[in-house]
Amino acid sequence: MNEIGGTPLFFLEFGDIVVYFTPFTLTLFILALIFTVFVLVSRPERQIDIAFGGDAFYDKVISLSELRFRRFMSIACGLACMGAMVTGDVFDFTLFVSLVGICNVGIVAAVKSRHVQNAAYQYGLVALAGTVPLFSAAAMVAATTGTLSMLELAKNAVEIPLAARALLVLGVMGEGMAPFYAAKAEMFRAPGAPYVIMCSLSSLLIFLRVAEVILLL
Amino acid sequence: MIWDGAIWNEYSVGLAVAFTCALIGFAALTIERDDLHKLLLIDLVETASLAVIALVGTDLAEALILPGLVVGIAELLALSQIYLTKEGYQHNPVKRLNIEVMMISPAPVIISTILVVYGIILSGFTGGGIAGLGIVFFLMSRSFTGDFHVLEIASGVSWALWVASFFVFMFFPEWWYLALMGSAIGILLKVITKMSLVGAMWGEPE
Amino acid sequence: MIIQKISRVLSNFDNILPVFAAACAVMSVITLLFLPFVYSEDQLYPKKIVAGSTLNPYDRGGPPFVQAEIVSQYPENSPSAGFVTAYLTPFSLFLSKQTLYMGTTIVAHPGGILDEILYNTRGLDTVVEPSILFVAFAIAAYIFRREEHR
Repeated sequence: MNEIGGTPLFFLEFGDIVVYFTPFTLTLFILALIFTVFVLVSRPERQIDIAFGGDAFYDKVISLSELRFRRFMSIACGLACMGAMVTGDVFDFTLFVSLVGICNVGIVAAVKSRHVQNAAYQYGLVALAGTVPLFSAAAMVAATTGTLSMLELAKNAVEIPLAARALLVLGVMGEGMAPFYAAKAEMFRAPGAPYVIMCSLSSLLIFLRVAEVILLL
Repeated sequence: MIWDGAIWNEYSVGLAVAFTCALIGFAALTIERDDLHKLLLIDLVETASLAVIALVGTDLAEALILPGLVVGIAELLALSQIYLTKEGYQHNPVKRLNIEVMMISPAPVIISTILVVYGIILSGFTGGGIAGLGIVFFLMSRSFTGDFHVLEIASGVSWALWVASFFVFMFFPEWWYLALMGSAIGILLKVITKMSLVGAMWGEPE
Repeated sequence: MIIQKISRVLSNFDNILPVFAAACAVMSVITLLFLPFVYSEDQLYPKKIVAGSTLNPYDRGGPPFVQAEIVSQYPENSPSAGFVTAYLTPFSLFLSKQTLYMGTTIVAHPGGILDEILYNTRGLDTVVEPSILFVAFAIAAYIFRREEHR
């Protein structure tokens, strides 16, 4: 097989779905793991609005339930990322990527501001639309090659249509759209570090992984 | 030449139809401005992706459709709830089936019991749907004053049961029967609780 | 400048879905242009219809508790694959003897090829799938309850 990410170090077999660790995927996996642990132990930032021209300041209060919910979503997002990094099956990969997408929506949607809610809704629509090219790509891979396992596909026995690869990339772009929003002031106006950072990191990771998958196919 | 070796087989014809549908849907999404219509159109486009999966035409395709469908439905539910808050729709209490006979007679209880028992006999995914329908019907005809907490705990337990069964399948294959029953009961409980939750969200007691 | 213009369009998040939908539409056209594709004949879990069987679309053979033949990707990873396929609950066994249409409802019972794929050979898919459902319900329930308590 062509080894894009290096020789697989070890395999974890779950029936037809074989999880494998190459130096590349292992690095990404550890990165996701470290950040998930950070989210688990860190305390969120507290924002303060300072009134100009005086000594007054307002302390923005985040309710405990909101904090807990966003932390739960971030941890779920981290776990989904770890899964997407190491899975060795095309359809399983698309499922993990959609899980990352919906978790990102959850992280943003918990904020109690109408503007942020609108952003979360628009992003959620893109994530939902992104599942169409994702699943289509996986199904086309299965139909044209007769297998979904990346290890089998890496043997390059059958040519995969270029369209299937392009659809896969497009789908991942749809699911990983969050940072393009998160870069916006509206989204960072919501108090949320380190949870909002989880959105950016997760999409960075899935972009890196999909590059490997495309080269492998 | 890319056309080499490829002929217009049934699969390619099917793909042509499915992607034409997707194209129409996406073209409509490009020009649509209303937020609710966008949601409905995306639901429509999802159908095209299910068609592409179905075109594989094996048992595997049937098994892949289920996750594909569930992902679409789940995200749709979350997004419609976000839509409601975003638009600031206060919950206007949906009236129960305000028929006097339903409120006091034992008929809804009997019908729901039959549905739930039948669902449990069927077990699995469809069974969960039928049993859940029975509970939704009961909640609609009576005022529901309990809390969701029990439902959520049951949902969590069923999820854990399912994952546990998965590990039994993977690591103790000789106990496959136990794992099969665990998964079947897990999915039954899960579908029942999810449907009841939707039924409880649907309206509030006056 | 063109980049400025693009950035201005993208910075409004009401525009992001139309842009993505347009990309998907273009991609659909490209896919249509690349047709036809070769359909691989050696598929996993092939579908075969056993004529005259009462379990029709889902009959994959074998009396219960006898391992049936199925074509999975890595047979050595699931040594017990095939038992679930052949298994019928006592109730479905009874139904299959009474009626010709058992096969259309068999998906509702534990056992059968779909359960084999969903729970056993591709079990990880099915673990991810309820997790997605769980997360989506958690979001909906959280927002719903927050609105209630206001």
